[in-house]
Amino acid sequence: MTRTLKSPQFSRRGVLKGAAGLTFVLGAGGISAVHAATDATVPLNVNHWLSIGSDGVISVVFPSTEMGQSSYSTLPQILADELDAAWEDVVIQQLNEDDRRFGNKIFGGVLYTAGSTGVQFYFEPMRRAGAQARDVLLQIAARHLGVHKSRLQTEPSMVVAPDGTRISYGELVALGIGGVTVPDAETVPLKDRSEFRYIGKDVPRRDVFDKSTGRARFAIDVDLPNLAYGAVLRAPVEDERPLKINDAEVRAVEGVIDVVPLPDGVAVIAESLWTALGARDLLEVEWSKTSPARKFNSAETLVAYQAAAEDKDAEATVWTEKGDALEAISKADKTYSQLYISDYAYHGQIEPMAAVANVDADGQGAEVWAGTQTQSWTTHTVAETLGIPAENVRLNMMTMGGGFGRRTALIQNYVRDALLSSKAVGRPVKVIWTREDDVKNGTFRPLAAQKIEAGLTADGRLDGWYHRVATPTVIGYFNPRRWDAVRPKDVISMRGAESKFYGIKDFRADHIITERQARLAPYRGIGATYTSFAAEAFMDELAEQAGRDPLDFRLDLVEDNPRGRHLLEKVAEMSGWRQRGERALGLSFAGYSSSQAAGVAEVEVDEAGEIRVVHFWAAVDAGLIVSPDNSHNQIEGGIIFGISSSLSERIEIENGEVMQNNYYDYLITRANQVPPIEIYMADVDAPPTGVGEVGTPMVSAAISNAFYALKGRRLRHLPFTPDRVMAALGS
Amino acid sequence: MTKFVLNGQPVKADNSPDEMLLLVIRDTMNLKGTKYGCGAAMCGACTVHVNGGAVFSCQMRLSDVEGAEVTTIEGLSEDGTHPLQKVWIEEQVPQCGYCQSGQIMRAAALLSETPNPSREDIAAYMSPNLCRCGTYNRIFKAIERAAEGT
Repeated sequence: MTRTLKSPQFSRRGVLKGAAGLTFVLGAGGISAVHAATDATVPLNVNHWLSIGSDGVISVVFPSTEMGQSSYSTLPQILADELDAAWEDVVIQQLNEDDRRFGNKIFGGVLYTAGSTGVQFYFEPMRRAGAQARDVLLQIAARHLGVHKSRLQTEPSMVVAPDGTRISYGELVALGIGGVTVPDAETVPLKDRSEFRYIGKDVPRRDVFDKSTGRARFAIDVDLPNLAYGAVLRAPVEDERPLKINDAEVRAVEGVIDVVPLPDGVAVIAESLWTALGARDLLEVEWSKTSPARKFNSAETLVAYQAAAEDKDAEATVWTEKGDALEAISKADKTYSQLYISDYAYHGQIEPMAAVANVDADGQGAEVWAGTQTQSWTTHTVAETLGIPAENVRLNMMTMGGGFGRRTALIQNYVRDALLSSKAVGRPVKVIWTREDDVKNGTFRPLAAQKIEAGLTADGRLDGWYHRVATPTVIGYFNPRRWDAVRPKDVISMRGAESKFYGIKDFRADHIITERQARLAPYRGIGATYTSFAAEAFMDELAEQAGRDPLDFRLDLVEDNPRGRHLLEKVAEMSGWRQRGERALGLSFAGYSSSQAAGVAEVEVDEAGEIRVVHFWAAVDAGLIVSPDNSHNQIEGGIIFGISSSLSERIEIENGEVMQNNYYDYLITRANQVPPIEIYMADVDAPPTGVGEVGTPMVSAAISNAFYALKGRRLRHLPFTPDRVMAALGS
Repeated sequence: MTKFVLNGQPVKADNSPDEMLLLVIRDTMNLKGTKYGCGAAMCGACTVHVNGGAVFSCQMRLSDVEGAEVTTIEGLSEDGTHPLQKVWIEEQVPQCGYCQSGQIMRAAALLSETPNPSREDIAAYMSPNLCRCGTYNRIFKAIERAAEGT
């Protein structure tokens, strides 16, 4: 469809009148505009993704939120490339509202930054938006110069005519768009890969200077006139409520403003955070004691899930099925099975939850500053909490001090804290969770028990695979609305169990949806962090049962996946797999979504049972790579995240209370525990499939397989803490 | 009233002498580059220099810095041109960036104590500071480059 820009388009925030009778809408609906509404500035709005001022400034919408994955730079680069913009002319506009025109269709059109989908989804629409605008600029130049559009070329932010005449994009905007038609986004020609200026090149990221100088502003840093600070004493167990509050001592503290009951806690509001934290210690609260969560004990949960995984009659939903796995296994020459378990894990993002809210005096609107992974659900949280329409919500999506899935929920209680506090005291309030608050009230990767059973042929080939995952639904807890749309398929709980990079003829993976016994959330790598651990640890055990080298055994299964085969061969070459001798190497082949990764870990273990990863090699295929340097960063970070969760990260729950407190008892990999990491990224001409999580899922099995190479003992319980390692060595 | 020198300027704070130095820096002095991460000396996001040495500002009371020289990331350079900051930017070290002020401040203390550290020296010295995004290897490389003066 082609439309002519004759009449003004209307956006939610109205219309601006430009010069010379031209009327244009300003920016993408509701985004704070960089252009003032003056005759001197006539922004060109070909589509909702960008506007170009007559001053040459190009504003590009950033539809995601930034938590370290660098989409803030990468996504606008994609548009700038097709627009042929000079990168320095591009101003990035954070999308600060739930404007579904920018929604991520992978998540049903919601504004939601997760699942390594930013580049994967926005690559196409943002390229097309840039190409559309470039075409319009070419038409303006053609009209102005009296030259056919096909004879014009572009250089960064410039149209160049055959006679060498150069007109900047800003000058073209000032010439007006009379008679220009906007080409259809679906059919507008795109660049050939060889013509890319920014895609596939290392363009310095926009936020690195501010993040190297202390200038980057996170939600926890927001300052406002008359700001008050809140600290919340939360219920010790999920779903308990404050019944009686004795705040006499608290209110007597100088600087305390108010004590505000919340659905799941009691907030102390004070003139400083120091005062709020100190006064919170003086609160006496009697909590309800009726929550079913008081029965949650992770040790018992583990036993129950394990029993469910072992119980062939347990009710299960099929996650993936090809051929007839059960039939193939029943007829196989040899069968083998094993059980794998994995504990709860916590995100550990270094910025604890924090939010600032300023509720309007009439209670009918609010401005909020928060770092979350979703404009949609943060808007929803504010609207639900205050009982106001979504259009009265004014968001400021702040860059996050890490996300990893922590900031994704449909209702975000850290935002609710700030809203209810601000409403109560009639001032802007910043609520900051302490680290202990964040751990104790964390939302975790679920505990899981998995049983895998397989058949082998007499000549040592895989013949049927049946993978059963006993774990709760994560989506059903953190986003019941989404669960209604996708049930019974829970990609957060199950990703990876499809083992889709292998061509296994008779294959089945089932989800035994167990009772939830903790607060849950997506966690970097989601289900694949444990399903790929089980699958790849089991693959090594199978190879041994078959009397085959773990590499050869896997290579049999990638005959129809040449890209995967290349990664396995590459990582074998990088790590010296074929010549490994006595070196303790472990191989793993997993990935995330459609991105594939093969990894090799080399490990040592000390007398106390502490495993040390001394080297890691990875070969990754994530399709076309938009930002190679950043992708390297992401994959390396994903591998380190995997090492950390494999070796030391463990949450335990007793009577509904989280036992861990802080980084001293929830251990995250430190600088002196990080190995050299070598990464190869395949250069392929295929759509981008994401790099944020692909590094993580392969890691646990690479480590456990390397441990087996070293000690001849299997580790089947994540994480591989020293006590478990010692137990394995003693068995 | 506590008097100390903050980023080269004499300052006074009438906060409680027991108040956590980190919060005085962030909320009273309004220097937000120093971060709160754990309050327990376990993450290093709050690292600043007191009389030239790297300390956890979450573990210090305001009264502990009476008369001392305190330097935060904002005082390391005015315009991001400290040699460590330059290599940090060239190496594109930060991801989420939240821990990086603390990382840079600890790295600066390392280089003032040990101008030519080995990789092992660097890893050991930097290990109090957590980075959940996993930028450690880039941090090592940046520190080595700064030490080489390249």
